[in-house]
Amino acid sequence: MNPADFQISIARRLKNRFVILLLIALACVALIPLIHVLHYVYAQGLPHWNLNFFTELPKPVGESGGGLGNAVVGSFFLVLVAAIVGVPVGILVGIFLSEYSRSALAGWVRTSIELLSGVPSIVLGIFAYSAIVVPIGHFSMLAGSFALAVILLPVVAKTTEEVLKLIPSHIREAGLALGIPRWKVTLRIVLIAARSGITTGVALALARVAGETAPLLFTALSSQHWPRSLLEPAASLPVQIYSFALAPFEEWNHLAWAAASVLVSLTLVTNLIMKWATRSRGESR
Amino acid sequence: MKPIVEAKNLNAYFENFHAVKNVSLAVPEKSLVALIGPSGCGKSTFLRCLNRMHEEIPKARVEGEVLLGGSSIYDRKLDPVAVRRSIGMVFQKPNPFPGMSIFENVVVGLKLTGSRDRMDQVAEEALKGAALWEEVKDKLKKPGTSLSGGQQQRLCIARALAMKPPVLLMDEPTSALDPISTAKVEELMISLKKSVTLIVVTHNMQQAARVSDRTAFFLMGELVEYDESSTLFTVPKDAKTEQYITGRFG
Repeated sequence: MNPADFQISIARRLKNRFVILLLIALACVALIPLIHVLHYVYAQGLPHWNLNFFTELPKPVGESGGGLGNAVVGSFFLVLVAAIVGVPVGILVGIFLSEYSRSALAGWVRTSIELLSGVPSIVLGIFAYSAIVVPIGHFSMLAGSFALAVILLPVVAKTTEEVLKLIPSHIREAGLALGIPRWKVTLRIVLIAARSGITTGVALALARVAGETAPLLFTALSSQHWPRSLLEPAASLPVQIYSFALAPFEEWNHLAWAAASVLVSLTLVTNLIMKWATRSRGESR
Repeated sequence: MKPIVEAKNLNAYFENFHAVKNVSLAVPEKSLVALIGPSGCGKSTFLRCLNRMHEEIPKARVEGEVLLGGSSIYDRKLDPVAVRRSIGMVFQKPNPFPGMSIFENVVVGLKLTGSRDRMDQVAEEALKGAALWEEVKDKLKKPGTSLSGGQQQRLCIARALAMKPPVLLMDEPTSALDPISTAKVEELMISLKKSVTLIVVTHNMQQAARVSDRTAFFLMGELVEYDESSTLFTVPKDAKTEQYITGRFG
């Protein structure tokens, strides 16, 4: 072979350069909305961050100061109760889909879960409204948590299924060959092996439902007070953003921006922590 | 010597494929039997029939008889899960359980089958039995997956030994290891057979010749020849065995 045969033509090199630059430019275009949103939300919201925001109730119109402490606490409990219901059920469904994937029932369950995750959240809100709000007779935090749990369930189930499927089958065989019953192999060996992946999936799903607004409008509604009971309406960050951002009072608009930046921080921090946690696990292997 | 494991007219199937054909073979107590043969000859499937792991594969089934210490392990009254506690197994790829420490890996079988007594002592004995104790005694809390490949395989051997099985099955235990780790595991096999009966599937005929007392040669699902290793590797009775061990096929 002639050494000249290995030389790459200048045209070929220019083409290569051009395409790489094009790809970098497109990647930057994709980043613009994210950076713009973050910049805008924090520019508007951060100046109104203070201790009062987290500890005080909203002040009546015309008075300055006040905070959205009730919405912060309300969102926390709405998501907590949703997690207590939705996460264990989601994980169990995910285990069923992964470990008993050959049964006919698993096929039906998988299709249902996929359909459920495609249902718009406002429809699930109406469902929670007719299932819980109407029978009880008034709006409640319980109904809001129920709606969030229904949104959470398919996300957790799918993540769990996918993480469990990454655990090689010879790990399960090794457990069975020790004379451990299959259900214990699944719960005490396979699930332990997959725990960091499942934790990541659950944390990201929780951060997502914390920002859901539509289903809360007809369930938990809103409140000017601190949440006291599951059976009373409760304030939440997304619903407060919705109502305060549109209000004609500057003070309330500021609170809405502060709430928006708190919510964005929550998602951002969860994402970053989970990225960091999964990477350090990868390196130790 | 009396046999501890005895297969009688054993047949194994994957759906319609007849993988093991009418194999009868007796393994003397506290000896090492090597199963050799080309890929797909049924030696691994045969091994997996000896601890009822074959039936874990969907649509797989077994016919015939396997006796352990004289009683059938395919008795309808027996739970396959309980049978596996007296027959350990080591796999081709080292597979310590992820997310568990070295110590937890060794005792997990005991812990999850309900015998939690003296776990520290059992773990130490098992790790010593697997010739791993000196290397890991100061880092028992480290993840099992942090060890090297050869150490991981000895950890898997310790995990099986912790159940104190009279019989240990090994499915190509060194084929994923480097030569030095392979030599260590081979040494270990030779010392283990003083206390445990070993049945080892291997692709490596030199290994079979080095470590085994008896060797079984499988071809197309059939047991072609089964004899003392010193005889089988020097004066095989069957022409096919001779062709295989001299490297003419497989």
